[in-house]
Amino acid sequence: MKKQSYSYVESPFLLSRREFVTIGGIIIALLALPAVWIRSAIAKRNEYVRARIQGLYKDDVQSKVRVSHGNEAVAKMYKEFAKHPLSEISEELFHTHHYINRRTM
Amino acid sequence: MSSKEWILKHTLGVRLFHYLLVISFVPLAITGLVLYFKPFSQEELNFYMQIHVVFGVILTIDAMAFFIVGFDRVVTFVKRAFTVTGDDIKWFAVLGGYPQKFLLRKKVPVPPMGKYNSGQKLFGACVVIGGTILIITGWGLWAFPHILPGGMGSLFGSLHTICGWIMSLFLLVHIFLGIYMFDDFKAMFVHGRIPYDEAKEAAPLWVEQELVRVE
Repeated sequence: MKKQSYSYVESPFLLSRREFVTIGGIIIALLALPAVWIRSAIAKRNEYVRARIQGLYKDDVQSKVRVSHGNEAVAKMYKEFAKHPLSEISEELFHTHHYINRRTM
Repeated sequence: MSSKEWILKHTLGVRLFHYLLVISFVPLAITGLVLYFKPFSQEELNFYMQIHVVFGVILTIDAMAFFIVGFDRVVTFVKRAFTVTGDDIKWFAVLGGYPQKFLLRKKVPVPPMGKYNSGQKLFGACVVIGGTILIITGWGLWAFPHILPGGMGSLFGSLHTICGWIMSLFLLVHIFLGIYMFDDFKAMFVHGRIPYDEAKEAAPLWVEQELVRVE
């Protein structure tokens, strides 16, 4: 049988059952608190988003031009300048690449 | 064969958790600093961000696995780290006797400590609180920025930066003192054991009150 390489270990009874449940419960509760806070903040934000969506749909119903490709200004820009969507010049001007450093914007 | 007696200070599970913590947190601190100071081009920063994310995921898996598998160790650690006594204040008053030892080559009396001294307890509290904030805010900023309400993304970014700085600066002290106390270093990285005599000097309360002899 392999000889044990140490003579002492920590007592397995460092914490009483009451201490274990109390401290464990506090840890779980403290972890749950931010989850509840984040969830309620997201729910509140969603109410605003839903109201905004309703407003946008209402604007769409009232708008003369409802789709981007029906926008005469955009169509004119492509016709006279950028040729067509995904053209070389559109790629160069309208597409971003990689990491955006917002501090220098 | 040496007749020295040994104490098992860090079990294999704790050592495995610590290995993964080292492997993940050191690259996270380095890439985090690069992303903070932005000394490179956008393509290179994007690459550093990807490394940061990969090691962030490794750190999260490590922390969650240990939280679930070693919950009893987590509870014991939290109790030790957040228990403050008068001796902790006395320990901080002399800073554990380290400045006197390093600068004046003088040994000053230090209050008796448990498994962790007061400085280690403060570091432990920072790891528990700061680590949790870093993980939660990091995931929010990386995976769920589109669902974070206005203001929360900015708050997460600030918290992530502040906690990252505190933890990274603390890490430097931790590495220095960890290597200085070489028996502890070997215990954490090699075999988990610490000589009984060393432990009796550095952590008398732990040796007297929390250890049992195994045959």
